[in-house]
Amino acid sequence: MATVTPDLQRAGGGGSNVLRLGKPFRYSVLTLVGAFFIIPILASARFSFLGNNNSFTFSAYTQLFGTPQFWSTLWLSVKVGVGTVALTLALLIPTVIFVHVRLPRLRRLFESVSLLPLVIPSVVVTLGVITSFRNLPNIIYGTPVILALEYVVLALPYSYRTFDSAVQSIDLKTLVDAGQSLGAGWIKLLRFAILPNLRSGLLGASILTFAFCLGEFAVASLLSFTTFPVFLVQVGRLEASQAVALSLIALIFTWIPLALVMIVFSQRRGGRRGAGVEAAIESAVAE
Amino acid sequence: MSETKEAAIDLGRGGVEVELRGLSRYFKETTALKSLSMRAQPGELVVLLGPSGCGKTTALRMLAGLDAPDEGNILIGGKDVTSLPAAKRNIGMVFQSYSLFPNMTTRENVEFGLRVRGQKAKERSERSKEMLSLVGLTSMADRFPHQLSGGQQQRVALARALAIKPQLLLLDEPLSALDAKVRAQLREEIRRIQLELGITTFFVTHDQEEALALADRIAVMHQGRLEQLDTPLAVYSSPATEFVAEFVGTVNRLRGVVVDTGTVDVEMVGKVAYRSGPALSPGTRVQVLIRPESLGVTPASQEGSEVLSRSFLGASTKLSVRNPSGDAIVVEVSVAEAAGVADSAAVQLFARGEALLVRPALP
Ligand SMILES: Nc1ncnc2c1ncn2[C@@H]1O[C@H](COP(=O)(O)OP(=O)(O)O)[C@@H](O)[C@H]1O
Ligand SMILES: [Mg+2]
Repeated sequence: MATVTPDLQRAGGGGSNVLRLGKPFRYSVLTLVGAFFIIPILASARFSFLGNNNSFTFSAYTQLFGTPQFWSTLWLSVKVGVGTVALTLALLIPTVIFVHVRLPRLRRLFESVSLLPLVIPSVVVTLGVITSFRNLPNIIYGTPVILALEYVVLALPYSYRTFDSAVQSIDLKTLVDAGQSLGAGWIKLLRFAILPNLRSGLLGASILTFAFCLGEFAVASLLSFTTFPVFLVQVGRLEASQAVALSLIALIFTWIPLALVMIVFSQRRGGRRGAGVEAAIESAVAE
Repeated sequence: MSETKEAAIDLGRGGVEVELRGLSRYFKETTALKSLSMRAQPGELVVLLGPSGCGKTTALRMLAGLDAPDEGNILIGGKDVTSLPAAKRNIGMVFQSYSLFPNMTTRENVEFGLRVRGQKAKERSERSKEMLSLVGLTSMADRFPHQLSGGQQQRVALARALAIKPQLLLLDEPLSALDAKVRAQLREEIRRIQLELGITTFFVTHDQEEALALADRIAVMHQGRLEQLDTPLAVYSSPATEFVAEFVGTVNRLRGVVVDTGTVDVEMVGKVAYRSGPALSPGTRVQVLIRPESLGVTPASQEGSEVLSRSFLGASTKLSVRNPSGDAIVVEVSVAEAAGVADSAAVQLFARGEALLVRPALP
């Protein structure tokens, strides 16, 4: 033990055993894990560009882009995804903040409840949600709105935990007390003093929820909505190389916004942020 | 418990009068406050002093409007504000934990209260400059909270609380997270600013030294009740209850016998005068509470008490003395007097001041 990478031990503060095993070990683990994810993707990519007689071709892609259903199902999934994210945030922000400020002892309970969709079969959740909303007007029932409602519940285990731990990382109660004693009502308090400090949590919850919506098949298919993943499966039954191309596209569609959002948010720290707050508060006061 | 004494003189400092009338607050298993009543004069600095869990924060949060009493009323400037929410009270509060908004600079934090009131940018920036120079942080205006030290953060919190021109200032153990030197310095500064602005202030602490140094009057609290409300001198030299005597400063508990009204004969010390306590008939066995500095030592020839150890405090020396019954007695004397007695040498104790309290000894 004593002979292994003293610099790492210093840097890692004595860290875990894995750290002490040194750089070569860490790199090989990283490489293995990376390979586990990347090799299938590369293999799929290669397969999707394979034409007759092993020639290189874009035909899987050109055919897909030429299919109207490709665009309509993608559009449907994006709409449902955006709607689900909006509904999720509208539900999460007040709930989690209320629990932290007023019912701190019930935090664990709420967290456990949010995990229920993981243990209850999704068909049961689906029917539960449908039953709950049966008496609502047709605008919801029988339109993709019902799908968004389903997804809010099904993605809750991911969204709730993400946002909850972000709230946990700031001293919410004190910030709320301070803001109120300075004369701020809940709206201004949330908008200028609380939510800006929960940006990463909001972002994480949104991304996870959106990604969930773009990948969910079972419930959409059960409710007979041809979303993007449903379309993907349908295509896969007929044309293997198109299905593979499609899943790569889906992957890219999830990754691009994710990467963009990450870049944007990591650059917002410090710098012009102050001016942003100033302008935002100014406009709110003017309202 | 003692009567709530009113300060005899008008402090002439401006500010509003604040009155708590029979405030009670019950949580599931605990009574956080039990009929707490007191009145702060305009411009007065009242320190709420007591051990952790005695209800200080609860009382302060009620003044701020962040919590509501189960019973009782709060009057600020003669107006009943009991049911007024925090955001409408115009009260400045500084918290125990760091409470600056992490996403805002020092300046933005200080201006926050003014922004939510819709003040113009020019007025706001004038006010925040004024406040930051008051707390000596002009050069830190554009820093974010994580770029400030703990002491600086609490200064900004103070500036932020004062920027809204509050009618009342509340400080909940604002110095407890800071190291000793910063704490003493910031304490002086808070007092200076408070006097300069003439603002009625409640300051919560569990540190008796802080309370004695800062307060116009100290409210000593214990288990949700007010034990005594009086000037630092009175709280220290004439504690109303045993709890106050013990909590504010150090006391020795010695055995004695009542000689007459006003005098007790204390074991191994001799005659000691006392003023407060119940009327006791001569001959009653009593427990006598006396401060270390009310005792003195002289070298003694025969066996008796002996010096166990000493600690040099700079201006004085603290001696630990053991009497023949084995009790440890703390004595604080001048350096010269302490030099007159050797360690492990026999000493005679004597009283140079009055006893704080005398009460019948437990059987
Ligand atoms: N929100 C609460 N729920 C339950 N008990 C509380 C709550 N706030 C305070 N208490 C209890 O009330 C008592 C007084 O608390 P507090 O006012 O914070 O004391 P202090 O500030 O003097 O340390 C304590 O016993 C505390 O446990
Ligand atoms: Mg407290």
